[in-house]
Amino acid sequence: MHIPDGILPAAVCGAGYAATVPIVWYSVRKINQEANPRESIPQAAILTAAFFVVSWIHIPVPPTSVHLVLNGLLGAVLGYYAFPAILIGLFFQAVMFQHGGLTTLGVNAIVMGVPALLAYHIFRLRNIRGEAGRITTGIFGFLAGSCAIGLSAGLFLVILVSFIGAGFDVEIERAAIYTLAVAHVPLMFIEGTFTALVTVFLHRVRPRMLAHA
Amino acid sequence: MCIKRKLITGLIFTLALCLVLPMQVYAHGARIEYTSSTEIEIVAKYDTGEPMGGAQVMVYAPDDPSTPWLTGVCDDEGRFTFVPDSTKSGTWDVQVRQAGHGDMAHIPVGEGAVVAGSSGGYSVLQIVLMAVCVVWGIAGTALYFSRRRA
Repeated sequence: MHIPDGILPAAVCGAGYAATVPIVWYSVRKINQEANPRESIPQAAILTAAFFVVSWIHIPVPPTSVHLVLNGLLGAVLGYYAFPAILIGLFFQAVMFQHGGLTTLGVNAIVMGVPALLAYHIFRLRNIRGEAGRITTGIFGFLAGSCAIGLSAGLFLVILVSFIGAGFDVEIERAAIYTLAVAHVPLMFIEGTFTALVTVFLHRVRPRMLAHA
Repeated sequence: MCIKRKLITGLIFTLALCLVLPMQVYAHGARIEYTSSTEIEIVAKYDTGEPMGGAQVMVYAPDDPSTPWLTGVCDDEGRFTFVPDSTKSGTWDVQVRQAGHGDMAHIPVGEGAVVAGSSGGYSVLQIVLMAVCVVWGIAGTALYFSRRRA
């Protein structure tokens, strides 16, 4: 899911940064409109740590393997904090583990951060008919988690297929990208279930933590 | 006398034959030709240790880093071997790519050539230590913002 350095042309990397800046600005603006913007920073920090570490948990999906992303969970729980949190998590993953890269940080932030914001808006829909119960929270948590990873895989696929480097055999690379994208279908269920379990747990023990959504 | 002449004639004839047909005389010798070339083998793996079987490989010569000198595909174990042109000494770049993942190795050839190397990567201990440091910093941030105001 993380696009490393040297895969995409410089113009695409630049466009990724150009698209990231206004989204960060909008997210920070939304955060500042809250009554107490500092209140949610601890939970944003903890979920950033979870996002940072979880990319090491690999799930074998033959013939490849995928890893958890948790962008849906971050979106559902953190709301607009999710995008800066993911950006910081991606920065540390790139610097420490070479998961992704610094030139592709903007593109990766779009690939994983925008679906997190989508997850936030999906999760908010649970309260459309009054205060959501446990089952409704679980269903919308599942939808938020699975849709986020599905959209991420879709964005990843479109960006990579559109910009296969000159000299490479396009057919072989395209087939490998499609295989990897299909491997994310089981991950949609895993992430959806995990997000549902966490949101239901928080709904029961600390409903205040879901106050953003 | 006659025998002596015959013997000398025979000797001269044999010597002449040796000079005229040197190839036949040396036919039982052996010859080894050699040219020095160093084969470079790369092994491409994901950081999980899984080999990048079927990944595409691009080899760039030191004199032209933009046009591939050789292209190929890794075998099932992620191996790829090639023999660089020994007249082009310098750093050869080998790029491996599969499904949007990949890396580039810089291999010195000629003077300063090394026997083995890698494109980077850390040991498990280093990774765990770095992860713990980052998580510690993030937890500190969380604790700082969750402290009770005096």
